[in-house]
Amino acid sequence: MDDHLIGILSNIGVISFVALSAYLLLLTGEISFGQQAFFAIGAYTAGIVTAMWQLPFWLGLGAGAAVGGAAALFVGLPTLRLHGLQFAIATLAFAEAVRILFELFRYQVVRDGEPVGPNGIEGFRSIRYIFENDVSATQFMLIIYGLLGATLFGFFLLERSRLGVAFRMIGEDDLLAATQGVPVIRVKLMAACLAGAIAGLGGGLYAHLTTYVEPAIFDVMLGVHSLAYGLIGGLGTAFGPLLGVVIDIGLLESTRWFAGYRMIVFGGLVAVLLIVRPRGLLDERLVHRIRRVVGRRAPPKPANATVLRKELS
Amino acid sequence: MEAMLEIADVVTAYGKIEALKGVSLGANRGRITCLLGPNGAGKTTLMMTIAGALKPRQGSIKLEGNELVGLSPARIVGNGVALVPENRLVFPQMSVRENLLAGAYQRNDSREVVADIEQMYARFPPLKERREQLAGTLSGGEQQMLAVARALMSRPRLLLMDEPSLGLAPIVVKEIFGIIAELNREGVTIFLVEQNAHLALQVAHHFYLMEQGRVTFSGNPGELAEDEVIKRAYLGTRRSAG
Amino acid sequence: MIPFIQTTFDGLMVGSSYGLLALGFALIFGVMRRLNLSYGPSIMVGAYLGTLLYIQFGAPTYVVAIVAVAGSVMAGVYVERLCFAPLGVGAGVASMVSSFAIWMQLEQASLLMLPRHSYPFPSLTSGELLSLGPLVVRPDYLIMLAAMLAITAALHVLLYRTRFGLGLRAIVENSVAASLSGIDVQSTMLKAFALASAIGGVAGFLVLSANQQVTAMLGMWATLKGLIAMMIGGLGSIPGAIVGGLVLGVIEVHSQTLFGPQVRDLAAFGLLFVLLVLRPGGIFGTTAINDRVGHRGGDRWTTT
Repeated sequence: MDDHLIGILSNIGVISFVALSAYLLLLTGEISFGQQAFFAIGAYTAGIVTAMWQLPFWLGLGAGAAVGGAAALFVGLPTLRLHGLQFAIATLAFAEAVRILFELFRYQVVRDGEPVGPNGIEGFRSIRYIFENDVSATQFMLIIYGLLGATLFGFFLLERSRLGVAFRMIGEDDLLAATQGVPVIRVKLMAACLAGAIAGLGGGLYAHLTTYVEPAIFDVMLGVHSLAYGLIGGLGTAFGPLLGVVIDIGLLESTRWFAGYRMIVFGGLVAVLLIVRPRGLLDERLVHRIRRVVGRRAPPKPANATVLRKELS
Repeated sequence: MEAMLEIADVVTAYGKIEALKGVSLGANRGRITCLLGPNGAGKTTLMMTIAGALKPRQGSIKLEGNELVGLSPARIVGNGVALVPENRLVFPQMSVRENLLAGAYQRNDSREVVADIEQMYARFPPLKERREQLAGTLSGGEQQMLAVARALMSRPRLLLMDEPSLGLAPIVVKEIFGIIAELNREGVTIFLVEQNAHLALQVAHHFYLMEQGRVTFSGNPGELAEDEVIKRAYLGTRRSAG
Repeated sequence: MIPFIQTTFDGLMVGSSYGLLALGFALIFGVMRRLNLSYGPSIMVGAYLGTLLYIQFGAPTYVVAIVAVAGSVMAGVYVERLCFAPLGVGAGVASMVSSFAIWMQLEQASLLMLPRHSYPFPSLTSGELLSLGPLVVRPDYLIMLAAMLAITAALHVLLYRTRFGLGLRAIVENSVAASLSGIDVQSTMLKAFALASAIGGVAGFLVLSANQQVTAMLGMWATLKGLIAMMIGGLGSIPGAIVGGLVLGVIEVHSQTLFGPQVRDLAAFGLLFVLLVLRPGGIFGTTAINDRVGHRGGDRWTTT
């Protein structure tokens, strides 16, 4: 496989994490413009752990995920009462504040005579653990997809668990969910924490993939993109956001036809797509139908009432 | 007796659920026609369909021969049909006067509009008292009056009323029905959906019973014993109804 | 004391442009209950068209202004037709994401027109500073303040003394009831969109002419400033938009004077976050967002 393809695939893999992160929150009915903050936190944390403290890679990733999850919890607590747009804007404000904080953040140690570490706007270079330890690009790609696969498996289990049903119930109507005995606040916090951890994990992988991160990367654009991936690919399954990432990065990044017009084409396609399929390509109805055809037991969902409510509103 | 409103085989659905399964009925000019039936029968769905807020899958709704299906609600108002919605739906942050003006939105004869507003004040004195008050602060009965007055501002040929007695005290309900009868005497054609079968039968010239999306009875008050009507209106005829 | 007043005054003037941007957002949100992420980019399209004329043909300033506003309106109508009109009220998130997709589209189209990071933009005045007693004022900023006041007054008249305004307010309260009363909701929404875009176009023009340059960050900048100001003042509230803009302006200018540009932005976001947590309705705590009523089903963007 040539290097260019490996690069694109690795990129798709890493971005999928932040897309899944936004998707998880969407399941509970919350729109977040801010998952890129946890992506950033994960990236910086993992980089600090491996490049500066010279600890093993897995520890770095774990730390990235853990700190991402913790930060999400920290932000989630005050904002959980907020609904809809206010929550979305709060996440945006938080993410931008984090990004600016990283612009001001300076922490360096000297390794081999050179300063290494986050240097404000200039970013964080030389996160070279992968290269220093002779991991090839192909191998790293496999690591990325291995972890992505594990995450998807986690989603698979989640969809079939009571927690997953609770997520979707809250997503439909959290007042109704509360009357059914769902501990709404606690479940939402769990979702936020998980989402933060997933993004943090992705961030750690991203930092080691590119060996260099800077605050400018983790901007609003990344956040809204992550959200868009789920909306485009479909909200019916965790493969939806992945599909969205593949479409954006895969198809358009690598086709040279559209160079320079890429966003014009992509933007227009998305707008048209959403008119036809407002809940994405792999939306709940399609996934439900596919599951019935494939014969597996479909996960429990509040049936006709959903359709009724959507049509009435 | 001319039919002013003719509804034929209307089917309205929410996704896969058919709320109206082929409804046919009519309202004669200058008369009060009443639609009774238990909750969930589809009465409000029918009203919203006539008013254009919902689009039927099939069927036709004609006002004096003109097809209303496919027109936007605003155009239907322009054609002379006004709905007093279930739950009133007044504009809470707007004054009584502004609510009335909203009802006259389609009209260009501003002097006449002002005259009509004065007429509404005369007909509904509580509205005059509260004309600069925010509609959200009015009592239920006053909001009902406002909703009726607002609908009348468009000078409709056909007035649709969806459960005007809902949530109101008996005295107020009597007042409202008095107004309904008065309007009819002045020549307004009224098509009325009601839960209160007893009062409805006192004013109606003709009535229909509706259950589970279908019309099950059509007749004049007196054709069916009142307690039979009430039983069917509240409970339906089928054993599993309700 | 005087420097404090000076800074505050500067903040009010900068805040005027934020207020206008927020006004556009609030108009659209109030009527449609949905967020238009293409608002800033629509303004950018207009501004870039104006800049193009200025650079290529040396167009006079008033032409640039007209083109900037007209371009914004055109772009705004395009967005409304593509992202909002075809998607019913129930598909709120979808239209927001759609508007984001068009943001990308409009931004790239603008950059194709003028690829460099920044371009000169005509200014309205000679730039000589005026003295207002002990205070020093930039005339361009004063124009911004005046424009904000004029537009706000005009909008008030429009909303409270015209039939169109009545219809608009009715739709904001309850779009179903409005259509049942005979108000043409679709057409009113389109006009509100156009109006909001025009206001945004004016705001954009004024800011750019005050800075005498236009940069590729315009789209993002306008969207963020307008959004933050609107949220501070209260979602969907018209007076809130103005107040929110002014508050944001004052806080920003003070933060910049004390700590520099990065902290300025940090302060803006920090303020927004804290405000949302403590007082989600914003300063004017509007009824545009009701907690429970109207938040049923799939997404939070529907209304009764």
